[in-house]
Amino acid sequence: MSSEAFNPNPTVFVPSKSKTAASFSKNNSLWLDGEDDQDIEGGEENLDIAEDIDQEEIFELIRSISDPEHRSMTLEQLAVVSAPEISFDSVDDGIPSRRIKVEFTPTVPHCGMSTFIGLSIRVRLLRSLPTRFKVDIRVKPGSHQSEHALNKQLNDKERVAAALENPALVEVLEQCLAGATE
Amino acid sequence: MSEERIERLARTWIATGQQEEVETTVNELLSTGSSLLPLVKALGIYLTSEEDDERNKGVEFLSSVLARFPPEKLNRQSVRVLATFYCGKLEDTETIVPALKGLVTLVGAPTFTSSDALEVVKALFRHVKMRVLVQAQRFFVFSIFDTLVAKQRDALKGMGKEFLDGYIALVEGEKDPRNLLLAFAIARILLIEFEIASHVEELFNITFCYFPITFRPPPDDPYGITSDDLKNALKACLNATPAFGPLAIPLFLEKITAGSPVTKRDTLSTLDVCLPVYGASIARVNARKLWNTLKLEIFQPTDSGTEAKALRTTQILIQVIYGEGADGGLSDSQEIEGLAKEASDECLRILKEPEKSQAKPATKVLCAFMSTTASVARFTLKQAVPSLSARDSVLGDSEVLPTEGEAPLSPYKDEVLGVFTVGLKNTGTCKHALEGLRNMVTTKGLLSDEELGFIVHNVNEILLKEGMEDDDVGEGILEVFIEISSIAPRHVTETTLPLLFSSLPDRAPPRSADTERLKFWRILAFLKKLCIQSDLFEMLVVRLSTKLDLICTPKNLLPESDTEDLDVEPSAAYAHSILRTLADVLGTKVDKNHPDVPKYIDRLLPKLYHLHIYSAVAIENTLAIATDPRLVAVTSEIVTKVIQTQTAQRQETFVADLFAAFFEGQVKRIADGQPKIPEDIVFKPFESNAPVLQRHLVPLFSAAIVALRKEVALPIPDENTFLQTLLLWSLDETSIQQRDAVYHAIGSVVNKRVEGLSSFLSKQLDAFWTSKVADISVPADIRRKAILAWVWIAKALLVRAHPSALSYTERLFTLFDDTDVNWDAARAIGAIVRIDKVLTKRNNAIVKILYAQKFFNALLPRIVEGAKTSGDSNRQNAYLVALTSLIKSIPKTTYAHELPTLMPLLLRGLDLPDPEIRANVIDTLLATADTETKNPTISEHASSLVNTMLKNSIVSEQPSVRLRISALKYLAKLPSLVRYDVLHPQKALVVRELAKALDDPKKAVRKEAVEARTNWFKFSG
Repeated sequence: MSSEAFNPNPTVFVPSKSKTAASFSKNNSLWLDGEDDQDIEGGEENLDIAEDIDQEEIFELIRSISDPEHRSMTLEQLAVVSAPEISFDSVDDGIPSRRIKVEFTPTVPHCGMSTFIGLSIRVRLLRSLPTRFKVDIRVKPGSHQSEHALNKQLNDKERVAAALENPALVEVLEQCLAGATE
Repeated sequence: MSEERIERLARTWIATGQQEEVETTVNELLSTGSSLLPLVKALGIYLTSEEDDERNKGVEFLSSVLARFPPEKLNRQSVRVLATFYCGKLEDTETIVPALKGLVTLVGAPTFTSSDALEVVKALFRHVKMRVLVQAQRFFVFSIFDTLVAKQRDALKGMGKEFLDGYIALVEGEKDPRNLLLAFAIARILLIEFEIASHVEELFNITFCYFPITFRPPPDDPYGITSDDLKNALKACLNATPAFGPLAIPLFLEKITAGSPVTKRDTLSTLDVCLPVYGASIARVNARKLWNTLKLEIFQPTDSGTEAKALRTTQILIQVIYGEGADGGLSDSQEIEGLAKEASDECLRILKEPEKSQAKPATKVLCAFMSTTASVARFTLKQAVPSLSARDSVLGDSEVLPTEGEAPLSPYKDEVLGVFTVGLKNTGTCKHALEGLRNMVTTKGLLSDEELGFIVHNVNEILLKEGMEDDDVGEGILEVFIEISSIAPRHVTETTLPLLFSSLPDRAPPRSADTERLKFWRILAFLKKLCIQSDLFEMLVVRLSTKLDLICTPKNLLPESDTEDLDVEPSAAYAHSILRTLADVLGTKVDKNHPDVPKYIDRLLPKLYHLHIYSAVAIENTLAIATDPRLVAVTSEIVTKVIQTQTAQRQETFVADLFAAFFEGQVKRIADGQPKIPEDIVFKPFESNAPVLQRHLVPLFSAAIVALRKEVALPIPDENTFLQTLLLWSLDETSIQQRDAVYHAIGSVVNKRVEGLSSFLSKQLDAFWTSKVADISVPADIRRKAILAWVWIAKALLVRAHPSALSYTERLFTLFDDTDVNWDAARAIGAIVRIDKVLTKRNNAIVKILYAQKFFNALLPRIVEGAKTSGDSNRQNAYLVALTSLIKSIPKTTYAHELPTLMPLLLRGLDLPDPEIRANVIDTLLATADTETKNPTISEHASSLVNTMLKNSIVSEQPSVRLRISALKYLAKLPSLVRYDVLHPQKALVVRELAKALDDPKKAVRKEAVEARTNWFKFSG
């Protein structure tokens, strides 16, 4: 990696917390959880209710990926990714969409790490989402100087596959992804 | 005479080289006098021999004898002669090695003088060529110098330049760690005590060339020298003299900039010990350069360890420059100049953009400055506080404060307090402001009572504010309150608690009102933490029990307007939450043995009994929320906790009232409250035709029974008949909660009062077994209930190690052929030994130690045997079920040593049709999976384990969520349990199959699937 930092002092954002009632009870229940009766209700009663993969869950998968330039920080902290920037294509006739668009925002328009960030998001989702989904990864319009080339590169199967043949690249990639799996 | 003997001994030794001769010679010499000269004479021909080998052996023998010879017996003359002799032998390449060996001993002799020392040193310098000697021989040389430096220091000092030149030339190029340890020790003495001014550079070269130490001891190193030993020894050299400063600092800087993380950390910690020695002036001259390098490690850290060390070094640098001993030490009034000013200005400039990532390290640097010297702390604060308060307290500000503490803050406390109270109002900064406030509160002597009141007032304001529901904020608020309570509880009790109590609504918010519900949960969570102390708890009991009455009043349950439907569940849940809070606080108090718990038998229990009984007898069914089994369960917990702390006498009177209430309808004896229970009601929950609402209250009866002391007799003529009645009642139309309650009561009585129960335990239970359990014409559900009752009786006997416990257990095995109930019987085996919350010491039960181990050891062989041999597969499966339930019930350590035997059976258990059993087996495998040692048994079964787990993790094959999760967890763990080469063939399959699990309908399952699949992706050789 080059020693010259593309953005030596990026802005840090406070992660938004969405959990509220969850800490007191499960499944939006009216009832308060006891201190030690965690395993009594196994959730068997709502066995049939399917929980679809949603924006929040996909965000959960990528929020803790480390930034390649600032390893101690996550993509979420640097606001490179955020939940609202993950979208499903419009639902047709009640069939859930299979196309997901993930947009990310490099911290500076000349960020040379953008391809790598995109690649790490791509690999994480490749490993963690069912194959029925088709994932589009793009930089947020207007956030990068070579936006078009980047988008093209990130969504080109061949080039992604070729990148993953490079052992040095994969090693750094695994390091960045390590944060996401904890 | 003896000379001849010595001569003979010498000859023998030279021929054989045995240790024996050395010993004999030493004794011989000692018996004739204390001189070695006879030996030298006897060896004469060898010592001067033309034969290289003979000379060598001669000197060798002399040195060996010398080594064994008591040094205090060596007379002056011998030492003198030997010193000269050995010095002469250093010239001879054949004898130099044994001569060095002899000198090692000789220089330590008490009669060895300074003139000898000079002679020896000079000879060594002249004749010894380190490069031609092997490690062990060089070690002799270092040992000689070590001893000389220790014992003849002044003589060596006297040699001046000659000694240093000679020594430096000698040690240059040494590489062996054993020798280096000595060399470093010697060097430290030279550096500290010798006149080294003209040799600084040479000494620098022979020490700093080893820095940083990269030595790693070989795995089976017999000398036990660690790299830390070397590092410490070297550090002791590097910081031995301030003269090294100008030379060392550039080198250190280079190592920090260019080194690996390990080198960086090593260099930083070396700097920590060197800087104070090198002194303020050197530090000041290099301050800029040092800071620039350190800054890089702090602002762009390679890892958190290095970052922390760099901060530490910065602190030391500041301490050295501005410390009290420093010659430029500033008086308090003077302005701080130089590094501290420049660096803190720099940090504050960075903090002008507090949202940027560099703000954080900048804050850390300021924190580090504040905990250095008083003057720097004052200065930094003075700089920091105005500039921080100028802005509207932004993220991270409060982090500045935690470390400094003490008095320097007082001049600025008003401003800081102001910053924090403003920060409280802002969602983003609230958490940090609370942290800051807590630190201010805990700083001794900083805040006045009034100011504490001010803080409480301000925190109260955000307590229930919308948008502050973050968990961390809640925690932060609690911490502030708890700290303040311990100093000045008045503020919290007078303002916070009333506020909390009055914010609890009198009727439950409707089902859709999530926010309100969350709000009262938060209030209750606060109360739970704050009201533990006795007078606060009393207040809590009064306020909450009143609240309960209000919530359960029928008028408060009816809809407020006609448009709403009747929905009592939110109210029941609200009442449940309040009871839960009481139970939890009570639990904390019982754990801490608070002495005020017993009095709540009069202050709380009658109210609770009244609440439930009134609800059961006097309120229309649909509105009788207090009869909800969930509420009854929590109240039961409270009852048990209060009763278990009572004396035997008090329990006796209470239990008399309790029986009167539950069997004779005299409810007034235990219940008291408003509105009064009508006189004409019938309360007999144990009657066969009792209304279901009354039956729901049976747990409230058992809850008191299970806590009784063993000497408390039940107020009835015959306990045998009573237990029999309860037992048969339980087989009736009862709910699980009611049955469990009754079984707990039976178990508890059997455990404590077994002596008087012989007729129940033999005659009545025999009949019970035959008619209710073993009789196949009885409906299966009745038999299952009966087995459960049986479990509790066997358990009650087992925990007190009663001899008949096993025979009750054994009977269950007779059911293993009976396909109607065999699995229930098998599960019962584990249930008997499972830890429960009823038969505990707290509940005054009789519990003997190691009962579980004994039970396990007694049953395991039989179960293993049964699972392996019994021909019928139903029977075999029943044994497998028994095994899994048994293992699930006992601690891991009990069965860990049996794992090799158990593993094949557990794997068979994975094929049983019951998903719960399979999940239990997988949980057992998970619990026993030891990632440290690659378990051969698991490796052996690796491929079948992979297949089974995959089968159990896919939703289309496996409807149980719990099982899928367990299987995926195990799959996630497998790569760390089995070597890559064993598991490698499965990788492609697993990755492919897990893709299906990623599409599981349940979120929790998908999460595990992601984890497992990631682990397998990363799994490589």
